[in-house]
Amino acid sequence: MHNNIKNVKRCTKCILSANFPRIKFDEKGVCNFCNNELLHSTEQEDITSATLEVQKLFDDKRGKSEYDAIVCYSGGKDSTYTLKLAVEKYKLNILSFTLDNGFISPVAFKNIEKVVTALGVDHITYRPSYEFMKGLYRVSSLENIYNPKTLTRISSNCNSCISIINITSLKIALEKRIPFILAGFTLGQIPSNTIYYQNNYEFFKESRKPILDKFKSEIGPEVSRYMEISEDLLKSSESFPHNINLLCMEDITENEILEKIKPLGWIKPGDVDGCSTNCRINSFNNYVHTLKFGYSPYELELSHLIRKNLLSREEALEKLFDQPEDQINYAKSELKLDENQILKNKVV
Amino acid sequence: METKEKIQSDLLQFLSRQFFVDIEDIQIDKSLIDTGIIDSMGLIEIASYIKKTHGFVVSNEQMNRDNFGSVLKLVDFIYKTKS
Ligand SMILES: [Zn+2]
Repeated sequence: MHNNIKNVKRCTKCILSANFPRIKFDEKGVCNFCNNELLHSTEQEDITSATLEVQKLFDDKRGKSEYDAIVCYSGGKDSTYTLKLAVEKYKLNILSFTLDNGFISPVAFKNIEKVVTALGVDHITYRPSYEFMKGLYRVSSLENIYNPKTLTRISSNCNSCISIINITSLKIALEKRIPFILAGFTLGQIPSNTIYYQNNYEFFKESRKPILDKFKSEIGPEVSRYMEISEDLLKSSESFPHNINLLCMEDITENEILEKIKPLGWIKPGDVDGCSTNCRINSFNNYVHTLKFGYSPYELELSHLIRKNLLSREEALEKLFDQPEDQINYAKSELKLDENQILKNKVV
Repeated sequence: METKEKIQSDLLQFLSRQFFVDIEDIQIDKSLIDTGIIDSMGLIEIASYIKKTHGFVVSNEQMNRDNFGSVLKLVDFIYKTKS
């Protein structure tokens, strides 16, 4: 796998590879994303308007509920900085929430403890049963569950995990009438026109039904508990919270983020891959994605950081190639999966 | 007032660019989700496009299959709301 991702032809400016959907290279080897033919047409405009709107939303709702916002806190560097911004820059009363997917690095857990203590926020951890999480990852690795469009930015396994985080945080927000859900996504991970938006569970539910049905038939009815919201809760909710990604409105390099969170006691875990700072199944997720699609789920995000001069091309490649074999093998054995099984549903 | 044709060609341009798809591959009378052009987050992106390009906020009630069910339905929705 390492040889595959190392030898593939890539854009000479960013790191998008020849296997990336819709990619074209000009005579200099520069891709059509760098040449501004796709995406990013109005990014700065989006950031400027989001910054204004978000400030207005916060000013309007601050101090009116048990908590102003719930922060989806993975313990990684980006959500750590998001939590810090929420408390210190935006002066919000925060409930921090971690989904324990069974693969969080022990160092990340220590980081969570140190950071929520240093920032003085309330915190809850929710851990679905390990058997369920393993089943979810198995199915997400083996079956083609998601729209390929979704998977240009994220691996199937990460997307499943994030679905549970989204649903769980929305449930908590509805139950406690919390007006905002904050997450640590960066531009590149999400498009600039989704920096903030109001949740619309009813319509999402309809569009996600085929995905949910697939999970239910593969895993069982317990999927409902983790990936659906009860009609009772929906009926009793007058309004839906806004989802906001604070980091998208900050112009900051990774090193600057690391500097800012160091005083909170945050330490980089040693048992994760180059693209994660908290999760030990991430390298396996990247491995599955690369096997199936021929490109890494981090290419779009890292390339975006390069274009914004927040990361050098060399640093990006280093992250992309840093996929520890022992991590991949650990997940393979926990999930009882091998390469041949995964390749059965190869997409390219 | 913009014509429906103009609204439609601008929308197709946006979809093509934002979701990396050739305009010829978009079936304008079919659901963008069912045909794999967008996922559920794509709905948010389209709502944001409408706000930016056509100047009105799509309410949660308006974000339904009648209005967002296809390119043709979206064009109708935008046209009606603006006129
Ligand atoms: Zn490029």
